[in-house]
Amino acid sequence: METNLVMEGFKFMALGMGTVFMFLIVLIFMMNLMSIIIHRFFPEPMLKEEVLASSVPQDNKKVIAAITAAISHHRQG
Amino acid sequence: MKFIVLKLLALFMIFSFTSVSANTIHSTETLSTHQEETYKSQPLSEMIGGFLNSTGIAAFMHPDPNELSANGSKMSDFHKSWGRIIMILVTFFLFWLAIKKGFEPLLLLPIAFGGLLANIPVAGIAGDHGFLGVIYDMGLSNEMFPIIIFMGVGAMTDFGPLLSNPKTALLGGAAQFGIFGTLVGAVALSQAGFVDFTLQQASAISIIGGADGPTSIFIATKLAPELLGAIAVASYSYMAMVPIIQPPIMKALTTEAERKIKMTTLRHVSRLEKLVFPIMVLTLAILVLPESTPLIGAFMFGNFLKESGVVERLNDTLQNSLINTVTIFLGLGVGSKLASDQFLVPDTMFIMALGIIAFSVGTASGVIMAKIMNMFPGHKVNPLIGSAGVSAVPMAARVSNKVGMEYDRTNMLLMHAMGPNVAGVIGSAVAAGVLISLFQ
Repeated sequence: METNLVMEGFKFMALGMGTVFMFLIVLIFMMNLMSIIIHRFFPEPMLKEEVLASSVPQDNKKVIAAITAAISHHRQG
Repeated sequence: MKFIVLKLLALFMIFSFTSVSANTIHSTETLSTHQEETYKSQPLSEMIGGFLNSTGIAAFMHPDPNELSANGSKMSDFHKSWGRIIMILVTFFLFWLAIKKGFEPLLLLPIAFGGLLANIPVAGIAGDHGFLGVIYDMGLSNEMFPIIIFMGVGAMTDFGPLLSNPKTALLGGAAQFGIFGTLVGAVALSQAGFVDFTLQQASAISIIGGADGPTSIFIATKLAPELLGAIAVASYSYMAMVPIIQPPIMKALTTEAERKIKMTTLRHVSRLEKLVFPIMVLTLAILVLPESTPLIGAFMFGNFLKESGVVERLNDTLQNSLINTVTIFLGLGVGSKLASDQFLVPDTMFIMALGIIAFSVGTASGVIMAKIMNMFPGHKVNPLIGSAGVSAVPMAARVSNKVGMEYDRTNMLLMHAMGPNVAGVIGSAVAAGVLISLFQ
């Protein structure tokens, strides 16, 4: 009887840690699966952001070019 | 408004029931003279004596033998006098820790002040009709506050680091060894005859190893409400002491080369992944362990609101005003359990001792798990992030980062450590579910 309770404790430990690990391992598989599926079938709208990001500096360049042209024209004139 | 109503009423009475109104006026007059009659003039010395007997000093020195504790049971004279003084000094020590040392001041200050108020004699603030008692009944005894806190924590959590490196979830699982290791320890202690913990109490104590305040309070109120004060204080004070407890263990278990391991940069995680994740975890919890769904459900609710991106107002409320409000109540409510008769008992000492063992075992097993993972091929894991598997978000991750920086200033581990950190929250919620399903 004496050792029984501690043994019970170890049983709880095995069961508990088993559940926690099983849960997390299944979760890891699902996370990996999900990222594969999402990357294959729903490729990020990230690209759009990049397009947007790259288009802004171009506009800036155009504006800068226009300003410098105007300034040089003004100085010449 | 009141005056107008009164005037109308008076007019009405005067015009229609003159005699009756005269009668009522007469009766109020007699009432007031009657009251004056019952007040007997007292000699000044007696008044001063009576007042002195009602002071706190008198209550500390010569406690009222009929005074009952907050939960209505008898208190020993020690708990009424010196016990209260000791507990008040303990709360001063907690103030010092919170203010001077910066240990989780957001929680420790309300808890300590609640403790201070709960140990005031005569006033009975922690009793059924005191405001601390009301706060306790309002949201702690029915597990409401920890659940709301969990929603807020969910709204603050970013699962990005975990999603970009899923295998670090194993570290968050390994750290739960602290919980079950302590369960064995608590059972062994009561077997050896030092204390008399039931299995419910033992498991409520062991959840301290999950390093998750709300989970500890949730489990304690469910399985062993009589130990709530000690468990919550142990849990929060050890969480606050994470920067002191963890580094020596982390350093003892790793070599210098291991501490300098640099981890590959995290990949970008798409918004859709972050949005699907909370639903995925909740689905898994529903299928495997419905007992854990109150905690995981609340947590994922908060996270889902945040990641949905369309309810910014609700997300903001969860992250700020709601969690702050509830934290104040939670702290004061837990503090009410710091009354001397409940805290100054031998059990508390064992709970404190078991709590620190739970923390240390959790930290150590996280680090060891990382070392085991490094034996397998694949990207190397810096074992220092293993310690972040004990939940304590984000403190434990910061500690990993800080220790890592001590050895290599360019090694930023914070984001890598957030992975096991948030996995630890899920892990301890699952462990809590297992304990509830076993013992309730």
